[in-house]
Amino acid sequence: MRHFIATALAAGSLLVASQALAADYKIMAPAAPGGGWDQTARTMQAALQDEEISPSVQVINVPGAGGTIGLAQFVNQSNGDPDALIVGGYVMVGAILTNGSPVTLDQVTPIARLTGEYEAIVVPASSDIQDMAGLVAKLKENPGGVSWGGGSAGGTDHITAGLVAKAVGVDPTKVNYIAFSGGGEALAAILGGQVTVGISGYSEFSAQIAAGQLRLLGISSDEKIEGIEGPTFKEGGVDVAIQNWRMVAAAPGISDEQKAAISADIEKMVKSESWKKAVADKGWADTYLAGDAFAEQLKEDTASTETILKDIGLVK
Amino acid sequence: MNTFELLGQGLLTALQWSNLLYALIGVTLGTAVGVLPGIGPALTVALLLPVTYRLDPAGSLIMFAGIYYGGMYGGSTTSILLNTPGESASIVTALEGNKMARQGRGGPALATSAIGSFIAGLVATLGLAFIAPWVVQFALSFGPSEYFALMLLAFMTVSAAFGDSTLRGLTALFIGLALGLIGIDQLTGQTRLAMGTPNLFDGISVTTLAVALFAIGETIAVVASKTAMDEKIEAVKGSVWMTKQDWARSWKSWVRGTAIGFPIGAMPAGGADVASFLSYSAERQFSKHPEEFGHGAIEGVAGPEAANNASAAGTLVPLLTLGLPTTATAAIMLAGFQQFGLQPGPLLFVSNATLVWGLIASLLVANFMLLVLNLPLIGLWVRLLTIPRPWLYAGILTFATLGTIGASASTFMIGPLPTSFELGLLLLFGLLGYLLRRFGYPIAPVVVGLILGPMAERSLRQALQISQGDPTVLVHSWISIVLILLAVAAVFVPMILRARGKGQMLSAMAGDED
Amino acid sequence: MSVLDDNPTRERRPDWAAFAIAIVLGIASAAIAWSTYNAGGIATTQPVGPKTVPYIVAACLFGLAIWTAVEALRGDFPEREEQQTAPIIWVVGGLIVQMLTIKTIGFSLATALMFTATAYAFNERRVWLTLPFGLVFCFLVWLAFARGLQLSLPAGPLERLF
Repeated sequence: MRHFIATALAAGSLLVASQALAADYKIMAPAAPGGGWDQTARTMQAALQDEEISPSVQVINVPGAGGTIGLAQFVNQSNGDPDALIVGGYVMVGAILTNGSPVTLDQVTPIARLTGEYEAIVVPASSDIQDMAGLVAKLKENPGGVSWGGGSAGGTDHITAGLVAKAVGVDPTKVNYIAFSGGGEALAAILGGQVTVGISGYSEFSAQIAAGQLRLLGISSDEKIEGIEGPTFKEGGVDVAIQNWRMVAAAPGISDEQKAAISADIEKMVKSESWKKAVADKGWADTYLAGDAFAEQLKEDTASTETILKDIGLVK
Repeated sequence: MNTFELLGQGLLTALQWSNLLYALIGVTLGTAVGVLPGIGPALTVALLLPVTYRLDPAGSLIMFAGIYYGGMYGGSTTSILLNTPGESASIVTALEGNKMARQGRGGPALATSAIGSFIAGLVATLGLAFIAPWVVQFALSFGPSEYFALMLLAFMTVSAAFGDSTLRGLTALFIGLALGLIGIDQLTGQTRLAMGTPNLFDGISVTTLAVALFAIGETIAVVASKTAMDEKIEAVKGSVWMTKQDWARSWKSWVRGTAIGFPIGAMPAGGADVASFLSYSAERQFSKHPEEFGHGAIEGVAGPEAANNASAAGTLVPLLTLGLPTTATAAIMLAGFQQFGLQPGPLLFVSNATLVWGLIASLLVANFMLLVLNLPLIGLWVRLLTIPRPWLYAGILTFATLGTIGASASTFMIGPLPTSFELGLLLLFGLLGYLLRRFGYPIAPVVVGLILGPMAERSLRQALQISQGDPTVLVHSWISIVLILLAVAAVFVPMILRARGKGQMLSAMAGDED
Repeated sequence: MSVLDDNPTRERRPDWAAFAIAIVLGIASAAIAWSTYNAGGIATTQPVGPKTVPYIVAACLFGLAIWTAVEALRGDFPEREEQQTAPIIWVVGGLIVQMLTIKTIGFSLATALMFTATAYAFNERRVWLTLPFGLVFCFLVWLAFARGLQLSLPAGPLERLF
């Protein structure tokens, strides 16, 4: 067995050879290896190291319960640590509420929103629903008859479906939302015609929309996005805008200077070529927003999410 | 260009010396990490993916394919030799494979697994190349009600196939089903049976349960038993290579395993574990030596291993044609493609034909490389069994705990002391595994229940939700009807056969008396 | 009495350990049902809600508990070999120590303790050999996986030196 270790070591040493070992960032990804937040953390790791902003960056995976387990651990253990960062996102806002999490995003120091993705509503090409108005008409006629396929209950997809129903005057508790274990399985159900409409992040559907297998009814951005052919929800007559964003935050209890230093490092990273390239490769949208503007938006999102989760009946 | 030309071109690229070298490195690394007990293919691929980042796209892709196959093969090796599967799909392999290894037939078990994996990988990769569009159409026709019917079939065949006592088999299955209830209900977001512990909100991890029940439970059972401690394990008894009889008994199982594995792997909610469970029960039904099952039947290794590999290639069908990652490993592979700016989906075969065919060619080459590398090494692998027990088991536990804590680093506070929650679960289920062994309960149904239970519940509820409560939706298509009929047959046909067998035996005895 | 005990019915004695399993299964069944009953209901229009399947599983477990009790009382469980408890305590103790200390003293030290305890349980009493070997081995494993392959493994005083 020692033989294998030697082999693994040899492979490993290729990676570590160039890294010095000074004080460095520790990024917590509150998700399992391979997931969206983990990829964000590891992309940050690569960009911070390649641009020599930080000599060595470590990623720690603490998965579970929509990121709230990692968040709780981060808040409890990193207080005042200027090297500790955590990746998170909009899903966490909902998960904190639905899981009754003892810690909230108020307890960390938000640094910046990094990337974002908009929600898309699609139907199979063979569907008789042509546009948002068609969907709204069907929904008003028989709310239960429209089945929505998306990710797990209480997630961004579910919240968006609830917001759409509410905006057009349909009781959000009547939304027949079918939760699948992720956008992929939902996509299969949509393509197979098992559900009426699909709702998930745009990138989950982009290839099928391009191939003409799915019809895009609307996208949840404020304004039209370059490269996406289709109306926004607002243009379709539904006054809803939502962004599924990912962010980076620092530990609670750090000083203003420490916060400024981290913010500067992150800004440098976001402006770097290697970050831009990685974001483009992965098909993410760069929706960088830092400082007070981000803190403000975080508050708004938390408030509106709490309202809709209560309306849907997921939070009492 | 037609399909053959494209594949030929891909093969030419893959067969360049430098690319062959990358394939070799990939297979070696994948096997080396995958062989560590308690570390399954998903974790192996996730760990080694960054190693490929530094190469050009073609080389990276080919090394990646090598890691993927190497990781899977390495996982089966430890399941067979040490009874410590690192993931759910090789649990079934451990059942018969480890019994064979204990009889000194580890060599043939590894060989049938390697050759079966090779053939299944070959056939399934060719299937991926030539019939992917049709397979995907079939897979898409599976909605929640069809999945529910498939799960029924899996439950019926699997619970009938394990163990010699109906009571203990069912009890083990229901322990798994009960564990599967723990956590947030995906359809309503409601927490169930988590006892207010946030660490349990995502449910019990299949990997943790499998590693605990097998690796930890096995270690405790061996150390506690005087006979097991005194038993001398002979690494090789007879030939290390497969005998003529082994070949004769294996090849049909390889074919059946491939036929079961490929379509199930292609289904959005299928997976290698379901395929390997179904293949195991099929082998038990078809075998001419059913009495050997549970005591080291070679069919029980050959079939599930082929199914496992075929379904891994099957997973690539929805991944490449729809951009649908259906397993953890596939999700990591998707990340691998994206580093080259490849967006899998319906347009991939049109827009990136060269790279796709390059990947398919790489899979063929890596698959072949694995066979070439590992067949001669079988003699060396079985020597793992000759490592003195204290060092061997201490090493097994080291890697089992490493894999567990590496996948989830969550901390659990006992008073002021930070401890590892996942290791606590590992220990708890390890003790459960020991007790189950001690009282003669089969282990595999516990894991089967944990995997299939939530899937079955979800499909049933999704189906009823879509139909707004109309139960006839469960039999609305011919696929569900056929699957349900098969499930019913799986329960009653063995009963009838047994009754008839008894009848014949009775008449034979009566004849003797005459 | 002893003469009577020697007759074949001896195997058919009640198996109290197996009976205990029946009781545990019964308790588990009751706990699932109770916990499900007490879980807050949420607005749902679904015919088969989040509580249906837990009730079914609880009911089946209860049935299995009764079945197990019957088989236990009839002594239908397979015979069990005598067990050595000391080695079990060493293995389990090693794992407990590792679980409790890994976050504080790091992967290598905690795992080396578990390694040594396991080897001891398997009759390798040369602790002066197993402990240093375990430490070096676990540290190399940590280096390969945590530094080389970026797996997140807890670091302690020893790992921080590197």
